[in-house]
Amino acid sequence: MSFFEKMKGGSQSPSVVSLSEIIWSWLGAFLGITPVAFLNYNIFYGNDLVYIIGSFGASAVLIYGAVRSPLAQPRNLVGGHLVSAVIGVIAYKLFYPFPWFASSFAVATAIAAMHATKTLHPPGGATALIAVIGSEKIHALGFWYILVPVGVGVVIMLIVALIVNNLAKNRRYPEFWY
Amino acid sequence: MTFRSLNECKQSITENDIYEAMKKIPGYLDITPSDCMELYRVAFDHAISKLKNAIKADQIMTRKVVTVNEKTTLIEVVKKMADNEISGLPVLKNDQTVVGIISEKDFLKRMNDDKRPSFMRVVLQCVQTTGCIAADFNNLVASDIMSSPPLMTSPQTPVLEVANIMDKENINRVPVVDGQLKLVGIIARSDIVQTLC
Repeated sequence: MSFFEKMKGGSQSPSVVSLSEIIWSWLGAFLGITPVAFLNYNIFYGNDLVYIIGSFGASAVLIYGAVRSPLAQPRNLVGGHLVSAVIGVIAYKLFYPFPWFASSFAVATAIAAMHATKTLHPPGGATALIAVIGSEKIHALGFWYILVPVGVGVVIMLIVALIVNNLAKNRRYPEFWY
Repeated sequence: MTFRSLNECKQSITENDIYEAMKKIPGYLDITPSDCMELYRVAFDHAISKLKNAIKADQIMTRKVVTVNEKTTLIEVVKKMADNEISGLPVLKNDQTVVGIISEKDFLKRMNDDKRPSFMRVVLQCVQTTGCIAADFNNLVASDIMSSPPLMTSPQTPVLEVANIMDKENINRVPVVDGQLKLVGIIARSDIVQTLC
């Protein structure tokens, strides 16, 4: 296949999911993001900690919307975020005078590291990037970023996924743990 | 089902079949139909090659083989085939190596000028001429009408390979011989059917 032929695609796009799948996805995401956002805005509001970051929204797509995906399994969810958080913090600490480099280095290295550790989880790329481009509050956390918001938020979302996805008749979660 | 069609099975599954199957499985499957198809093809090949190598010739061959010597008279060959209710047998030299195969087909060929001899053609010839067309069998021996050299196989050859030889060459039995070409068994079509079903 030539370079330009490849760009044509040619494969069929998957079919639309059922209504119950859509409803369960909505419910899972709603119940998963709620406790994390509540922690952030209502319980610990005003202190120096952050409990919610953008990449959680991306994780919600996978663990509540594409339950069967290998990318959505616990090993990937937890491992992918933690590995990427470590890399993001290190990238910021080493290269913060050059934000453009710190950003790209963080994301690229996070993907490579997730691949190597069999923890590929797309939102991990965002977690690594947020460690670099995030607010001053995030930067001030240093390595705590790995534990809060990342670790705590991910564990809460995982617990909700285990409950909600297994309540649905046509769903089971996880496919594998690690 | 011929053994060729085993390999054609996968061609009959289309991307649309996969698409429909994916629709039946609830939930969002994180794979395109074409990737799923590719996965299926590779898995199918894997399963086939496993099947191809799983059973070896010596596991299904018949070890007590009815045989004749190359010098055995045709009348005796006919008797032996009739008594044992078989339609073919290997022809051996004095040192027990296989030199040929005699089957009903070889007799038909002898009794028939047609390029595609069959029992019905012999019947046809019989009613159109007088006298026994098998009469000259009296003066012949096994080596006169046997198919030679015969297609043979080794004890460690996978059964599916043997099946493919039978299918391709349109033969019904393959002698199994050791390194010195001495007969150790025989595989007939029916042996293979029993194995695979």
